[in-house]
Amino acid sequence: MGTFIIRRIVWTIPVILLVIFMTFVLMRQIAGNPFRTSERNVPEEIQRNLERKFGLDKPWYIQYVTYVKNVATFDLGPSLVLRNRDVNDIVREHFPRSLELGGLAFLFAFVVGILVGALSGLRANSALDYGAMFLSNVGYALPSFLVATLFIYFFALEWDLGFPTSGWTTWQSKVLPVIALGLAPMAAFARLVRGTMLETLQQDYIRTAKAKGLRWRRVVGLHVLRNSLIPVITAAGPTLGFLITGSFVIEQIFAIPGIGRYYVTAVTARDYSVVMGLTVLLAIIVILANLFVDIMYGILDPRTRDARA
Amino acid sequence: MVVNPREAPTPAIAGDVALLPSGAAGAPLRQSNLWRDALRRYSRNRAAVLAGSVFVLLLLFVLIFPFVSPYDSDKIDFALKAQGPSLSHPFGTDNFGRDLMTRTAVGGRVSMGIGFGATLAILLIGVAYGSISGFVGGRLDNGMMRLLDTLYGLPYLPFAIIVTAIFGNVTFWTMVVALSIVSWFTTARIVRGQIITLKENDYVRAARAVGARWYRVLGRHLLPNTLGVLIIAIFLELPGVILGEAILSFIGLGISPPDASWGQMANDGRTAYRIAPHIIAVPSIAIATLILCANFVADGLRDALDPRTKET
Repeated sequence: MGTFIIRRIVWTIPVILLVIFMTFVLMRQIAGNPFRTSERNVPEEIQRNLERKFGLDKPWYIQYVTYVKNVATFDLGPSLVLRNRDVNDIVREHFPRSLELGGLAFLFAFVVGILVGALSGLRANSALDYGAMFLSNVGYALPSFLVATLFIYFFALEWDLGFPTSGWTTWQSKVLPVIALGLAPMAAFARLVRGTMLETLQQDYIRTAKAKGLRWRRVVGLHVLRNSLIPVITAAGPTLGFLITGSFVIEQIFAIPGIGRYYVTAVTARDYSVVMGLTVLLAIIVILANLFVDIMYGILDPRTRDARA
Repeated sequence: MVVNPREAPTPAIAGDVALLPSGAAGAPLRQSNLWRDALRRYSRNRAAVLAGSVFVLLLLFVLIFPFVSPYDSDKIDFALKAQGPSLSHPFGTDNFGRDLMTRTAVGGRVSMGIGFGATLAILLIGVAYGSISGFVGGRLDNGMMRLLDTLYGLPYLPFAIIVTAIFGNVTFWTMVVALSIVSWFTTARIVRGQIITLKENDYVRAARAVGARWYRVLGRHLLPNTLGVLIIAIFLELPGVILGEAILSFIGLGISPPDASWGQMANDGRTAYRIAPHIIAVPSIAIATLILCANFVADGLRDALDPRTKET
């Protein structure tokens, strides 16, 4: 087990280097250099000084190594547009809100999704099951911007239930964005849990447990649920991607000053160092989450240890 | 027996399937083949049939309606600004008084065009990558799969945004490129898995034994048999790509006006959602319908074309 975890952690290092490299290469393809924009006419000497200041006059591999070194020391570089701030400031200011939004949405999706999926699985083909699965399928297909707009339109305005239409301050202001962001992953969890539940219920050990006279409630709690939930853990990785994508939209609609919203602002302002820094940050978060998921999976299901290391 | 011409077997597949026993011994032989069986299995799944029909209707609406519509999708008339659904404008009008039904059809062409274009590109990349990895095997396969694992979980939206930024001006084709570059991983993995399973078949060994070159084994015996999973992959990838385009357009990083996609139309409706919620609702519901249908069609196709996955 120990070697599995160590091997898995060590393997993460080249992965992160590769992802930074890809982001780096992609960012370099964006036409022109940030200071040589057509809107601004910068004298040649100042231009050269600026490039020297930000290390843009060095060959690309030196720039890459410098960048990796900076990232390793948690320095994501300066902002090219806001002269007195660097990417770290922006992360420090905006990231906690995104983290809270994403974390609460994940919690909502996880708890409600497993509950709905488990109930549907246990009462397969009942009215409850059909209803829940219909709603899950619809919830999975609805674009997040429609869900968010409908929430604002009905819950905040038409019926006036006391939810603000935007912001991220009181708990009331957090309810709608969290549910809007968590709805699609919730639906995905529900469908997945229902499927694995149905599969687990067919297993011989469930029949054995029933045959030896175990009470049904105990069978479900001890055998069915536990074994059905293992695949759900694998779904946690893609869910994070879901949440990041969703946060771009949800933060925009609810005017939450988080990372997703700032990212879009930075792209529009062509603040490329911020775009790059935030991309690398998001990618590293996803990679670390996948690392965590893999290790959890290895602990819960020993068969996967060799294959996934 | 009614045979849909589209389901008629392609020669390569018929050859392989003819080896399968059809019908019990002694009973009159019922002519059967993979595609006819698949069609039968598919049509038993009522949800998938319904979803497939709605999908086709939506496709026809998008393709034909702009020709028969009495309105011009770009004609601005402020007298008709942001009207709700009525008899003359069944979906209402937008902020510029343009007929939303016509615009939904025209915008659907862009959304679905990008969707199918990117899906096709995803299939091409996926087949190339997956078949090389699966066919060559060994170390190369190992390395290629590791790379895929690395790329797999990455948040696709930031990378798609960067790719569109590289092109500067976002057009139909930059969108296709950006979306396919960030989402070909699943298909590549599916194709590779399929090739590896198929490689073990006796007919592949037989082909090798009679001296078939590698490209013949791959092109004649392996790739045609991945057709089933590729058809499933179309409907697995389409929703993600269409949603991705819609999200990019919605946050203001989509294709440049005057072209409008469903996401762009939803973005137009965002500012007016209090007085005219139908402007954002109509294109969003179109997207939702398309995605819902594609999901059910994919489910149905998986049961129909790849029944083995059900057994596990």
